[in-house]
Amino acid sequence: MTISGSNALLPRRRRSRRTGLRGLVYIAPAMALVVAFFVVPVIFTGWMSLHNWPLMGGTRWIGFKNYVRMFHDARFMSALQFTAYYTVIVTIAIFTVAFPLAIFVEKQRRFVGAYRTIIFLPVVVGLATASLLWVWLANVDSGFIGPALRALGWVDKSPNLLATFDSAFLTIIVMVVWKIAGFTMIILLTGLQAIPSELTEAARIDGAGRWQRFRYLTLPLMRKTIALALIISVTGSILAFDQFYIMTSGGPQNRMISVVYYIFNQSFVSFNLGYGAALSIALLAILVAISIVQLWLLRVREEKP
Amino acid sequence: MIKRLLSATSIAVLCLASSASAAEKVEMWVRTGVGDAFKKTVEAYNSSHENQVAMTEVPFSELVQKYATSIAGGQAPDALSMDLIYNPAFAAAGQLEDLTDWAKSLPYFNSLSPSHVKLGTYQDRIYGLPLSVETSVFAWNKDLYKKAGLDPEKAPSSWDEITANAEKIRALGDDTYGFYFSGGGCGGCMIFTFTPLVWGSGADILSADGKTATLDTPQMRKAVDIYRTMVKKDLVPAGAASDNGANFLSFTNGKIGQQSLGAFAIGSLVTEHPEINFGVTLIPGATGGTSSFAGGDNFVITKGTPKIAAVKEFLEYIYSEDGQKIMAKYGSLPTRGDIADKVLDGLDPRLQVGIQAISVAKTPYTLQFNDLINSANGPWATFTSAAIFGDDEDGAFASAQGEMQSIIDSGQ
Repeated sequence: MTISGSNALLPRRRRSRRTGLRGLVYIAPAMALVVAFFVVPVIFTGWMSLHNWPLMGGTRWIGFKNYVRMFHDARFMSALQFTAYYTVIVTIAIFTVAFPLAIFVEKQRRFVGAYRTIIFLPVVVGLATASLLWVWLANVDSGFIGPALRALGWVDKSPNLLATFDSAFLTIIVMVVWKIAGFTMIILLTGLQAIPSELTEAARIDGAGRWQRFRYLTLPLMRKTIALALIISVTGSILAFDQFYIMTSGGPQNRMISVVYYIFNQSFVSFNLGYGAALSIALLAILVAISIVQLWLLRVREEKP
Repeated sequence: MIKRLLSATSIAVLCLASSASAAEKVEMWVRTGVGDAFKKTVEAYNSSHENQVAMTEVPFSELVQKYATSIAGGQAPDALSMDLIYNPAFAAAGQLEDLTDWAKSLPYFNSLSPSHVKLGTYQDRIYGLPLSVETSVFAWNKDLYKKAGLDPEKAPSSWDEITANAEKIRALGDDTYGFYFSGGGCGGCMIFTFTPLVWGSGADILSADGKTATLDTPQMRKAVDIYRTMVKKDLVPAGAASDNGANFLSFTNGKIGQQSLGAFAIGSLVTEHPEINFGVTLIPGATGGTSSFAGGDNFVITKGTPKIAAVKEFLEYIYSEDGQKIMAKYGSLPTRGDIADKVLDGLDPRLQVGIQAISVAKTPYTLQFNDLINSANGPWATFTSAAIFGDDEDGAFASAQGEMQSIIDSGQ
């Protein structure tokens, strides 16, 4: 808040303090929730990460040893690598499907409501439920995809999609795109609808082609929306767990262990709660860093005079 | 929610019980997937005794976590039916009641299943006693044998024979297969059904003191080779490669010629799938001999429970002839060797093979069973899948051997 006149200073400040107080009261319930369910657990996780904290038995202060261990942990590194690979592939896949869909359902046409609904429907299915559904679809004997390919005569023998890395990974990507693309589409749709039609019209009158309008008008104006969709998609992909746990239990020969899966294994299979906590803090730091970088890259630049 | 239900029912039961006398109510947890044997025993005990047992079933994959967290929170049940492989870890953590003196005073102590007692023993003190016994055995479908022109009454005695039979059964048609196993990273299934091939030939995957991984042996190479060959010859359904244990009982669909399975499965095949005409025998070793995995549950008591007398009374009932009979009827093999014949009298004769297996059976003793063997992402589960289905057999051996050793070392 900028204050110009010096004689207006005193009463203004008093009022602003009062409104500030009132504002605090208004946000207090939300703050209480954030403190109780985010800040306190994070602090406690940080505290745990400085201990050797088994699920049973006593805890022991070990300082930053858990964090040191992380850097020599080959399995953690390969989990990071796999998560990065998955995040890049799945984000690209989601956007290549969601963007055309958003443009398709933005225009007023017949049955557009029905299209929007149908495309959005998979989003309301829980991820775990969707994973189970696709486990069945991909089942080699009693499923749908394999036997259907065989019935069409494209393959001699029904393939076991979840048995090799490439086909299992592809199945999971297709499942996630089917499940998530509708949501990204809705976000992008709101961005598209926020572009005033006068601008598009003006561009058209100026002789801009379809591609030019998209590149120089639509994309720049959707910067904020794309940033939001991207952050949601990237964060969700980095935190991916359900689909790997349910569909492949870590994948053929352990090649689909995401970071969260590894944290889960360390904490509740190997009972190293302290190490799991340290990994969680590291993951939190990575997520915050990535989000900051994304926001910075996609920031709306000040108009140059 | 479960806890609230539990406390509600326990209050209800307490109200009922308090009118009678100072009867104790023992809270006990049992894992799912072990059949009805224990449930029926509890029912029989409750109807004939003043003390009562309240049993709660916990999903088998969550029992260990739940028990560990409940101990940490001071809400643990008085006693637990614990998968015996977890017994050493909990005993080492100092969470279980020392039963040594009482156990040794039991007149039949020496005839209790030795593998179970060994797993229940930590630093020469006994923390767990056998509750249910299951051994792995080899089963074949007699109807499919007959169709394939094989002698349905002749049990195969070597893996060459099993492979040859599997080929003949596979020749029957499209969806009839010669052999099955859950090979998609199910460490528990594979330690149960596959390691007997190695044990029978005299090798093991861990050294006797449990401190060295001895995975890469000629016997293991041979065993892997047997399974690889069957997969390559298309004698095993393609689904085996990704079965994480959910379809372990594929044998029950009647289209699998041969499979290694457990004695609990004999119980459920007999009671629920009478249409499957099958025989059982001991699992042959890869290069001769026979072996089996002795699994099942140990009965453990939470350290410091005030109801220890009542818990012991219940356990003595389980070991009585009546208790043993009920357990056996629903598929759990007798834990007392001295009265096994009496208990099994009149029951399905195929259960006898399960009993014979006890004498050749093994169980690996390690504090890190979950990490090494059972975890779907542990080295053993990964190894079995990679070595049998993967392209790089040598690489699978090398990396599993290395990872197992590093897990063992980090736990010292």
